[in-house]
Amino acid sequence: MREPPYATVLKPYGEALTALARTRPEIVCLGADLTRQTETDLFRDAIPERFFNAGMAEANMIGIAAGLARAGHVVFVNTFGVFCTRRCFDQIAMAVAYPRLNVRLVGFMPGLSSPGGPSHQAIEDVALMRALPNMMVLEPADATEIRQAVVALAGHVGPVYMRLKRGESPLIFEESHRLQLDRAQILAGRGHSDVCLIAAGMMLPAALAAARTLEREGLAVAVINAPVIKPLDGATILAAARESRVIISAENHSIIGGLGSAVAEVLAGAGLGVPLHRVGIADVFAESGSREYLFSRYGLDTQAIVRTAWEALARPGPVPCAPSVPASPGTYAPV
Amino acid sequence: MTLLQGLIKLPQHRWRATVDGSTMPSQQYSPVRRLATRIRLNATRMVAIQGFGYLGQALSSAEIFATLFGGGVLRPGHDRFVLSPGHYVIALYAVAAEVGLLDPAELASYGRDGTQLEAIGSERTPLVDLVCGSLGQGLSAAVGFALASQLAGEQRDTFAFLSDGEMEEGQVWEAAMFASHQRRRMGRLIAIIDANNSQVDGAVSSVTTLEPLADKWRAFGWQVLEVDGHDVAALDQALKRRSPDAPLALIARTSCLGRLRCLPTTLDAHFLKLDEPLRAALERELTQELASADA
Repeated sequence: MREPPYATVLKPYGEALTALARTRPEIVCLGADLTRQTETDLFRDAIPERFFNAGMAEANMIGIAAGLARAGHVVFVNTFGVFCTRRCFDQIAMAVAYPRLNVRLVGFMPGLSSPGGPSHQAIEDVALMRALPNMMVLEPADATEIRQAVVALAGHVGPVYMRLKRGESPLIFEESHRLQLDRAQILAGRGHSDVCLIAAGMMLPAALAAARTLEREGLAVAVINAPVIKPLDGATILAAARESRVIISAENHSIIGGLGSAVAEVLAGAGLGVPLHRVGIADVFAESGSREYLFSRYGLDTQAIVRTAWEALARPGPVPCAPSVPASPGTYAPV
Repeated sequence: MTLLQGLIKLPQHRWRATVDGSTMPSQQYSPVRRLATRIRLNATRMVAIQGFGYLGQALSSAEIFATLFGGGVLRPGHDRFVLSPGHYVIALYAVAAEVGLLDPAELASYGRDGTQLEAIGSERTPLVDLVCGSLGQGLSAAVGFALASQLAGEQRDTFAFLSDGEMEEGQVWEAAMFASHQRRRMGRLIAIIDANNSQVDGAVSSVTTLEPLADKWRAFGWQVLEVDGHDVAALDQALKRRSPDAPLALIARTSCLGRLRCLPTTLDAHFLKLDEPLRAALERELTQELASADA
């Protein structure tokens, strides 16, 4: 793994999808008036005959995707996560999930990474998509995982919802990292730990930074990256949980129905009495603002994870302070 | 999967034997018209078993299904058929049993526990490329099918059966707009609209104002033809008149009472309760009609 501030990559999804589609004629790309924002301008310019802009009509776009998929295409549907899931839930359920079609719903700008306020913040997209039978839910953490996810998804049978950070993607993992569609990865702390952090997507850098702060205080910390939120790799989570005093999930999403809930289901199902604390959006609608402002105001920053761990373990003394990592232009650091 | 693939294989002559309704005067009792009456009779018997069901949908659409499946319009194994309002699936079962695509004995299982012939179509429904239960979704998928055919360079038509009530859903108009924008690719897309002016709460016109329906589709950039939906010759001619320059909306004006004399005009035919006197009257009128046609 690399160290923060992370180098960033522009349009890793758009590049990977376009490269793949050149060799896979069955891939079709749909969008809803957010072509550049979803990195699919690359696809549009390279393979215009297989790119269709549905305009601001998401429900229809899902139906078109379903028709194309029934005829044998693998369809990548691209828009912001909030519009992709809220506006057309019935269409996704009936036209895509129920018939188990090869449609990949790619929702950009997850959680509070949008400055646009509640209308543009996908805070329950994972909950909605996780509830649908047949639907796989994916949240890669960096450009390396995004590139690998695109290739893996092309070979997967059935519908997938993938939420992606908009704009520059950090490079957290080395090229040797392998994303698998049925695995969570223990990134740090094998064996006994005081606290096990389970994170996905944009919360992974924060979890890694929180782990470093806690380790400096003498705590043993495990970090699990869970890019596949459904089906969640329960075996890996349970193995780590059995060795931990406290579990903390971290997600850029409502604490209801997302990664934290999925972890809770695994723990409760196994009868494991390990305390679970969910770091995420606390069942509220947020507001407009910068990522830095929103992540710290709504408890999605590194410090929130450190504080949650410190209090869950009932450590004496003040909560240690997570040092902020300055990010220069072209680099990325967690809030 | 294309239409009818993997189902009972029919001898080809069954299809070639169908009649081109356009050559017949509309008043003559053509085989397609006879098929429509058989659809009504089958549907009446299917609904009679439980005493309720979507009979009105079969009564209003009988000529449309007869023209599509018995008039040589829809080429089995080649063209695609999307049934958007899944409540109409009763008419599909009824016609399929007549043209050899479905064992007629299966009709008795309509709407019963464990049946393949569910009362509202689903992914388990045989015979169609897609049937939607949630209204307003079928045209979008039909556009997807038509795009796929065009991308593959195939010469196959995509038929989407729609109802007027579901045009209250905005998605229908999203699809209409998209298809018109892509009109060069949509010359083989045909939307057949059963305009029976019926929805759950009563007449569509009492709930909202869809009219002028033809003007709306025209304004959305479609070819529009409007016919008496109980006239098989008119339906047949309309489907053969279309040009390949744009998608076609065929508005079929119909009645949920199917112009049957025995049904009181005050009846709520959207979800028809079929008591014994009504069932007997329907059976009598339809069998008499068939008998006199055969005479």
